[in-house]
Amino acid sequence: MDIIKVEICIGTPCYLMGARELIEEMRKVETEHIDKIKLKTAHCIDDCCDKAPVAKVDNQIYEDLTPDKLREIVLKKIK
Amino acid sequence: MAANPVSEVVKIKRKIYIELARQVLENTIEDKLKKIPYKILKEKDERYRCCIHKERAIIKERIKLALGFDPQLHKEETPSDLLQKRGEEDCCNNIINVIELACDSCPIDKYTVTDSCRNCVAHKCVNVCPVDAIVTIQNKAFIDQKKCIECGRCKEVCPYGAIHENIRPCVRACSVDALSSNSDRKAVIDYDKCVGCGSCIKACPFGAISDSTELVTVCRSLKKDNDDKLSALLAPSFVGQFGAKISPGKIKSALLEIGFDEVIEVGLGADMTSLEERDELIEKLNKDEFLLSSCCPSFKKLVINEYKDLIKNISNTFSPMVKAAQKVKKASDNKTVFIGPCIAKKSEATLFNSVDYVLTFEELLCIIVAADMNLASYDQQKELNDASKHGRQFAYSGGLCQVMQSITNFDLETVKGNGLDECLDLLNKKAEQEIDFDFMEGMACSGGCAGGPAVLNKPQVTKKLVELFADKAEYVKAEQNEFTA
Repeated sequence: MDIIKVEICIGTPCYLMGARELIEEMRKVETEHIDKIKLKTAHCIDDCCDKAPVAKVDNQIYEDLTPDKLREIVLKKIK
Repeated sequence: MAANPVSEVVKIKRKIYIELARQVLENTIEDKLKKIPYKILKEKDERYRCCIHKERAIIKERIKLALGFDPQLHKEETPSDLLQKRGEEDCCNNIINVIELACDSCPIDKYTVTDSCRNCVAHKCVNVCPVDAIVTIQNKAFIDQKKCIECGRCKEVCPYGAIHENIRPCVRACSVDALSSNSDRKAVIDYDKCVGCGSCIKACPFGAISDSTELVTVCRSLKKDNDDKLSALLAPSFVGQFGAKISPGKIKSALLEIGFDEVIEVGLGADMTSLEERDELIEKLNKDEFLLSSCCPSFKKLVINEYKDLIKNISNTFSPMVKAAQKVKKASDNKTVFIGPCIAKKSEATLFNSVDYVLTFEELLCIIVAADMNLASYDQQKELNDASKHGRQFAYSGGLCQVMQSITNFDLETVKGNGLDECLDLLNKKAEQEIDFDFMEGMACSGGCAGGPAVLNKPQVTKKLVELFADKAEYVKAEQNEFTA
């Protein structure tokens, strides 16, 4: 299976809306599912700052995220 | 210790601040203010209350508070009415306010029996109850709330832990018993007891308690067409609050770019405070007395409210915020904006003419977002070097004790109160003469200022980053810092 690419925006609007918690959640997923995801940060994804926090999973953009929502999206891909 | 989590309540508050700041900076607030509830809450958005109309009505109440008006005293007026009134009348007397419409009126039955009750043979709860409030109904213990005196003995004796103690989050969070509820079960703050620490704001999951802000006023002064000159005073705990790898030099440069005239470390004020406080301490020790720190306004208020006999021991030295602001005022006519992790500083500032405005890190970051600035891709730097290592150490619990030990040349016995509960414990023991010390550092927030209600990073991470920044200071000791003169 291919490694899932998770890119989390850490631009200021996303940071203010909880990007740090998204990263922490993905770090947990990283340790639970070793070698299944590749975590990266981005300075801005697609200029959709009013929908912060934003992440890109395998080239698809997800807006208005919470740690739980992102976990669900990533876990669905892993299974 | 975790950072303050970015809950939905926190997100809504931040979205309102960003919108308000943007409208002020873009000169559109007169027309667009009334649209904010509709912009923030779209029809399809998730809802937590009965209907979208109530949610939007609550956003309006939050806007009133953000404009500096107590929503309870201005129920009839809209945010737009209040915008016109700004400047005409004095805004909120209290910094921390209950937004009644948002308060869920949490249940106040203190003890209830849960499904874990087995209706056991021993029924210790029934036996222990001093007012016969517990009876068995349908194979389960039942507490008659009219009789219950909330003593808690039933909870203590139940072998199944089946009796639940129900405390509102705001009441639980308050270390000084300043929170209660009125006849409508809405939260009420007793301002004679409140020390302004902001714990209740963090604790309420409905966001029903919030602080007023000077964000709109500061944004007006920051606008390009405004002649006001502002000095930003960055509290020692600012390091690492604005995102990963956003260095102090970057923050300084960014603040100058969004319209501040100068940026100064409050650590410089901390240097000045520590030197004066040391002299005061020596004076006290010569009289066989001890000294309580004064830089945390909530701690100071706690002593004033609850320990009348210890008031004479509070340091009279002004806090780092005030010292730094006075320094600015001596050199220029600039308006001073203290930027920190703290809500209590908002109250403290009203007592001093030298501090014009107080913003939190959270509020400042909302302004930065409204100004369309992305610090993650920002690459400018400006040197920031106002404070010594000592001054920078004020950011975390224990820092002030370290500084005092290091700048006195004798054996100093210090204690630190890390958080209000620890402060209360130490002050109780001192009042009862159970402990002995020369100097007490009191911080209302756990972790010190790095654990304040408006921080955006974890206290332990902030402490590490502050220590690294402190090690880079040009001077180790406060007295070496030539800027303190």
